[in-house]
Amino acid sequence: MERSERIWLGILALVFVAFNAVTLSPLVPWQEWLLWSKPTPDRTVRVEVADYQFHLPPGGIEVRAGEYVEFVAVSRDVTYGFGVFRPDGTMVFQMQVIPGHENRIVWRFDTPGTYDVRSTEYSGPRHPEMFVPGALRVMP
Amino acid sequence: MTTARIGWQAKWTLRYAVAGLLFLALSGFEGILMRIQLHAPGALHGMEQALNALRPVGREPTSAELYYSMLTAHPVVGIYGFAYLCVMGAFYFLVPYLLQKEVRHKALVPVNFTLQIVGVLLCWGAGFFGLFNALYTLYWPLPVSYDRVPLVGSIVFVVGAAIIMVNILLFAYNLFSTVLGTSNPRSYSVGQFLRAAFGISRLMRWLGKEDKDAPNLDYNGLPVFIVAVGRGSIDTVINAVVLLSAGALILIYGLAALLRSPLNPAAVDALVYKNWFWWGLDMVADGNVLMYTAGVWYLLIPLLVGRRLFGEEVVRTVILADLLVSLGVWSHHLLGDQAQPFVMRLLSGQFITWGEFFTMGLTIFASLATIWLARPVTFTPALKFVLGSIFGFIMGGVAGLIQANVGLNLIFHNTQWVVALHAHTFLLTGLGSLLFAVLYALVPMLTNLQFRSQRLVDAHFWLWMVGAVTMAYAMGMAGARGMLRRTLYEGTLYQPYTLVGLIGSLILAAGFVAFLANVIATLGWRNVLGLAVPERWLSRGAEGV
Repeated sequence: MERSERIWLGILALVFVAFNAVTLSPLVPWQEWLLWSKPTPDRTVRVEVADYQFHLPPGGIEVRAGEYVEFVAVSRDVTYGFGVFRPDGTMVFQMQVIPGHENRIVWRFDTPGTYDVRSTEYSGPRHPEMFVPGALRVMP
Repeated sequence: MTTARIGWQAKWTLRYAVAGLLFLALSGFEGILMRIQLHAPGALHGMEQALNALRPVGREPTSAELYYSMLTAHPVVGIYGFAYLCVMGAFYFLVPYLLQKEVRHKALVPVNFTLQIVGVLLCWGAGFFGLFNALYTLYWPLPVSYDRVPLVGSIVFVVGAAIIMVNILLFAYNLFSTVLGTSNPRSYSVGQFLRAAFGISRLMRWLGKEDKDAPNLDYNGLPVFIVAVGRGSIDTVINAVVLLSAGALILIYGLAALLRSPLNPAAVDALVYKNWFWWGLDMVADGNVLMYTAGVWYLLIPLLVGRRLFGEEVVRTVILADLLVSLGVWSHHLLGDQAQPFVMRLLSGQFITWGEFFTMGLTIFASLATIWLARPVTFTPALKFVLGSIFGFIMGGVAGLIQANVGLNLIFHNTQWVVALHAHTFLLTGLGSLLFAVLYALVPMLTNLQFRSQRLVDAHFWLWMVGAVTMAYAMGMAGARGMLRRTLYEGTLYQPYTLVGLIGSLILAAGFVAFLANVIATLGWRNVLGLAVPERWLSRGAEGV
């Protein structure tokens, strides 16, 4: 290996270490609880999905800002996605909802407001209908 | 150009290329239609109604059904129609040419050509006529959920896919058979080939144990292009075998349903299936594409700039690393699956995927260093597109590494970022440009004709690059703003992005038209059409390719 290749390999290694260190650290906010602190959830929200429908708790999902909420999603037929979106369409988080498994993720909402839920995985031609505006309310 | 000037193999290579380009046109047309529908739902209603007359379904399908059927066929046409046909045609010429021997089983050359077209058209027909809409991902149990996907369409699709996969196995067999054939002093047994491919012989030497049965430890003496084709084709075989097994499973469920004895989809674990399926499918996306691309760069660049490849011994090792890395990266497609064990997501999905950063980083370094050290170089059409392809793999690769991350994937998974900025940049700017570079290099070699118009070459290059980057960037930014792939939106939330994406795709298409015009101007209509007719018809004409 020539000297220039060794220098280039060193640069690649530096980029590898820097990018992975940053993105695994709490500089990516949700890594703080998903990867490092792993808190006991303050609340569990169960979501069932079947026949293109989200079956949410009666009255929708209501949580408090700053608390850790565990979402447990199960599918009764095919693979769906469970995605939470802000009113401007940007995504807060998502997970795949695989049938035959309990799909879990813990989240902490810092900003009070109303959020939408949308399936983030194609499940058949009626997939675009799987949008529930204002399904999740975060109280101060 | 007369029939006497061009050999049998060269003629078939041109046929593969022309058929591949026709599939690119079809795939591109589908892409534009889908971009129109994303931008303005309902804009295609008139066309949909007219085409519904051709569909043997007893009801009027919804726009969403038509969209998702097209979305299912689109990647099959683009990858297994365009890319694979062009790769097959190029390799069927280049491998024997570089090894100075003939293709081992010449009869398979037209068979591969025919079966690939039949398989792709069956898959396309399953979508267009049969409304099969489970997408290329075929996530279990969607392809056997017959309340969502049509039963007959599902069966036709998997039969088409099976034909493609069997055909790819035949092609790989012919390639391996040609390389390993004993008609050449540099021949290998299958065992020697596999040991060298996976670096076993090198490992044994490193451990102080000489592998006496492996006289060619790293295919020394073989062109580095052949090494890349050999190792890449191992992934090609794995891909075909895995997808065949998935297709067989879907077919069994389909036939059982057809015989009114439906099987229980829950008998197959959706997560295990998804791991198996993505492990095989990823042998294309993160396997043979990277090795074949590297091999073509290693072959073309020294030829185009007139200098020996920089760091050839290193790149032989890099190809080995590429093969090993490709076997372990599939979990980056399951980073959104919280049910997937975390250690798998972190190691396979993120860290091993970064192995491609090293292998592609070194590959691109060797390629660019070769060009740099050969200055001054002439920027021939092929060299321009080689540089374009390197740019595409850098841009698409960086986007891929950002999403292949256990943290960032939570907001990128299944968004337009993934499919536009990563996948389409890889496929159109990266792989597409590379295949154009091969065509710009091969057509003069095969026909003794230079491309007619330099202006059309430049128009092709800039329109293709600007269009592809505009489309990918606009849709990638839409993805960063939360726009999902595989989702038809109502309302105007993402319309500015979809409009720019649509404009980009039209610019891209204009570049492709410039290329086709140049090909036809160079070869002549008669010769291009002559590629589509049987051999015996050609002999009757005075001239033909």
